[in-house]
Amino acid sequence: MHRILIAILAVLTLIPVAGRAQDLQTILQLHTEEVENPGRRSVGVVIEDLIAARLPAVPVFLTHWQDREIVLNAEDGQFYALVDEDGDTATIRNLDTGDESEVAGDSLTEVRPNGGVRREIAAALVRFQLSDENPANRRAALDAIARRPDADQIAPLTASIEDEQDAAIRADKDRLLNILTARYGETTEARVEAIERLGGSITSDARAALSQILEAEDRVSAEAPDGNIAQVYTPGDQISRTEAYGRLVDAELAPAPVSGGAIRDALIANIDGGMVLDIPVELLDTDAQRRAAYDRLAQAGRVPPFVTQDRIDAALDSHSFYAVYEEEDAAVTDAARATLRSVETQVSLNQTADLALDAISLASIYFLAAIGLAITFGVMGVINMAHGEFIMMGAYTGYVVQQIVPDYTWSLIIALPLAFVVAGAAGIAMERLIIRHLYHRPLETLLATFGVSIALQQLAKNIFGTQARPLTSPDWLSGQMVINELVSISYIRIAIFVLAGLFLALLLFILKRTRLGLEVRAVTQNPGMAASMGIDPDRINMATFGLGSGIAGIAGVAIGLYAQVTSEMGANYIVQSFMTVVVGGVGNVWGTLAGASLIGVLQKGIESLNPSNTLAAQTYMILFIIIFIQFRPRGIVALKGRAAGA
Amino acid sequence: MTDATLALPSRTPPVRQTSTMVFLASLAVFAVIVTILAQQGVISTSFVKTLGKTLCLCLAAVAMDVVWGYTGILSLGHMAFFGLGGYAIGMWLMYARTEALVAPGLAAQPIPPTPSELQDAIGSQIFGVVGSSDFPLIWMFADSLFLQMAMVVLVPGVLALVFGWLAFRSRVTGVYLSILTQAMTLALALYLFQNDSGLRGNNGLSGLQNIPGFEDAPQSAISLAFFWASAVALALGYLLFAWVVSGKMGSVLRAVRDDEARVRFLGYHVESFKLFAFVLTAVVTGIAGALYYPQAGIINPAEIAPIASIYLAVWVAIGGRGRLYGAAIGAAFVSLLSSWFTGGGAPDIDLGVYTVRWTDWWLVLLGLSFVAVTLFAPKGIGGLVDLLTEKRRPERQGDYGPDKGAKRSEEGVE
Repeated sequence: MHRILIAILAVLTLIPVAGRAQDLQTILQLHTEEVENPGRRSVGVVIEDLIAARLPAVPVFLTHWQDREIVLNAEDGQFYALVDEDGDTATIRNLDTGDESEVAGDSLTEVRPNGGVRREIAAALVRFQLSDENPANRRAALDAIARRPDADQIAPLTASIEDEQDAAIRADKDRLLNILTARYGETTEARVEAIERLGGSITSDARAALSQILEAEDRVSAEAPDGNIAQVYTPGDQISRTEAYGRLVDAELAPAPVSGGAIRDALIANIDGGMVLDIPVELLDTDAQRRAAYDRLAQAGRVPPFVTQDRIDAALDSHSFYAVYEEEDAAVTDAARATLRSVETQVSLNQTADLALDAISLASIYFLAAIGLAITFGVMGVINMAHGEFIMMGAYTGYVVQQIVPDYTWSLIIALPLAFVVAGAAGIAMERLIIRHLYHRPLETLLATFGVSIALQQLAKNIFGTQARPLTSPDWLSGQMVINELVSISYIRIAIFVLAGLFLALLLFILKRTRLGLEVRAVTQNPGMAASMGIDPDRINMATFGLGSGIAGIAGVAIGLYAQVTSEMGANYIVQSFMTVVVGGVGNVWGTLAGASLIGVLQKGIESLNPSNTLAAQTYMILFIIIFIQFRPRGIVALKGRAAGA
Repeated sequence: MTDATLALPSRTPPVRQTSTMVFLASLAVFAVIVTILAQQGVISTSFVKTLGKTLCLCLAAVAMDVVWGYTGILSLGHMAFFGLGGYAIGMWLMYARTEALVAPGLAAQPIPPTPSELQDAIGSQIFGVVGSSDFPLIWMFADSLFLQMAMVVLVPGVLALVFGWLAFRSRVTGVYLSILTQAMTLALALYLFQNDSGLRGNNGLSGLQNIPGFEDAPQSAISLAFFWASAVALALGYLLFAWVVSGKMGSVLRAVRDDEARVRFLGYHVESFKLFAFVLTAVVTGIAGALYYPQAGIINPAEIAPIASIYLAVWVAIGGRGRLYGAAIGAAFVSLLSSWFTGGGAPDIDLGVYTVRWTDWWLVLLGLSFVAVTLFAPKGIGGLVDLLTEKRRPERQGDYGPDKGAKRSEEGVE
């Protein structure tokens, strides 16, 4: 009788008791059974009480509980955290005071919550973490909710927002609450309002929430469609008649049509002494013959008959095909559809922006690779097939410098001018030894420099081996600038863009504003006249070639930073570089810029149509260039007047 | 066009030209000697194949010489036609052989296969490697040897016709044209590298050395047959081109090379002449490819990468441009030397501190000797013949291309 009274008292005063409880153990003792042997349903009561107690020890206990580190001590019937177990003795910790003590191992019973219970515990822990002092834990809790959104999380999340001090986390909490409300809110109005607020967000979880609301299931039925209908399919219109009939077959509302394989199997099953009925097997080597034989089998009642077109038509006519939203509230799905449409517009705008950034960075790489060529080919009219190998030389220079100078920032600072010097010197040497003898014979220059190209490539292979060498970028260049979830660009690409801009400015300055540039332009236009004006064409040719090759070297360092350094890296760029120069217009730095931009934008644009197939993108880009040259044989920026003939 | 204003030499029939006679006679002697040696077992089957392939390369080089050395179009895309010819014949070889492999299995089944079942079986056998089993449209004629042989001629021919017509019509010349042809072959190679190009992507076509219908013949006999076919093709191709470049047509072509504008002003339709040379050489190169790849056994898109076409130009330049036998000699010399060096045939040179392994250094040597040939011996190996015969051609001194060199007698003469 006493025990019953006590039990009734306990039940009546349950919440006040928990609220007033000074220590965790008291609450746990109230629920000994549930803690010791928790079930997924019963554990909720314990957790509610624990949360209501607002004790600092509760999250600690929940963590231990979740990690299966709680033990029941048979000596005093209390729960402890297991710290260490060593043979017969074990170290346990008092959950309230934190005191550790040693007890005999066999007096302890481990509490082993199952997977479902542990998920409940984890969900409860998230509520504590939402108000944790450490911002990192709060973020982790938000991530946990975002991964497994649930209607129950709305309340604790709402509660935690008021006390949130960190503006960024508060914004995230608001956003998450909005997503949760959109999916699990109690009233239609609240959900529609939350859905409409999602319209401003292009993050993937917001889009996922919207598309989850809009999840629909295809159905077939003999009656008129009912439910919250997403779409009605008319066979032959939204879906093909074959597909519609296939759905009927899948729903077992119609017999499956007899396939070629089924005919074959049926015929084989009915072979009797080299004959099917009275048809010799050898004659069954065409589809028409086989169908005829099958038809006769069907007439004999030995196989199911063909499904005639009339039956298919009748079946299609007598059924309706439609998709039904899993969400029953039409107001919610309408709002979600409208919002998703506007979000998708924003997403595609952002994707276009991202694509544009990609295209610009690709264009800068092409520009860097081609600008040296634009000087030697464009300005001097010399075809240098070894240009790609000067790029490679620059990249290997960067690699060698990194082997000597371990600090990546310093090695980069040293490598850039050194690459210029190395590649420039190689260029001058080549000009002196080979190209000088071949001016006016551009086709032979092409072949001779190709000889240099294969020799240099093989030489690099002999020295550095065939495997790719890394050129590591300094820390401040790694990583990427994230503008939002869809738009980002790596710092290296920004650096390459800046570098390309610098070179454009530098070249324009040299060609237009310096004595050297004046002389280069003079020699380009009319070497004889320039010579009679006291300009030494030999010296100018040498200097121009050195400049063009040197820039190729620097481009090599830049390209090596984001791609790998191999002996073939130059060869990969040479055809593109030539096309850049030709498309842009020979003899003009601006033309090269235009050519590089066109090719970069075009390549990324075609790639975006079919991202999995970059080979096709390159193919179509080259085809486009071939056709483009038909219409503007002199390139985008064509020289006019006398200079054009030079 | 018949009353040409150019000073035309009277046509000597190619058979009566000394160089053609000598070339064809040497080719015949060479073929006979190789046959005898092969049957004595002195040279291996694989070497007979190498020689046969070399003859095909010579034919391609002769064609290249006509388009470059005579017409002045430095095409850096002729190996694309070579590869297309190979693909065209390779499709039939692969189809027919797979059919021969698959058909007995299907025939052994309880009921005979329908034509579409047979085709599906062949398709999944051929395209399984690229994860497909359907025949793409371009394999439509693959079951017919005759139609695929027509493709050997038609595909390179039509491609050359369309490309050449576009390029010549808009007066793309000189290095621009070279880069454009290079872009063409690069685009084709990249396209074929895709798995869904319908030609097995980078796997290419393989097993081409097995000739359907001759399963029982030993490879030694097949290799000798192909060697002879290649030799005959080279002889016929040589005769054809010798005929083309002699007489009026040859004079116009050379004139186009030397000064295109002047020929145009004289009333010739330069584009047609260029297009003719371009298409004809493309077709012959395609035929050479169709003979080459059954001997090589495998073809893949790497074969038509731009570098291959540049090598073709290198052979012609080393052999000597502007003379047909020079191109053939250059191709044979360089490609055989190349396989000797890279095949480990050349002895390593021990320098004490460093051992020069020719497998590593051959390309360096080739590159540098190529530079040397361009600089110091623009006439190539063929120039040696001039030294022997003391024969100079005063009217064409030092013109090696369509460039300004033709107008400058001081250029190009050492």
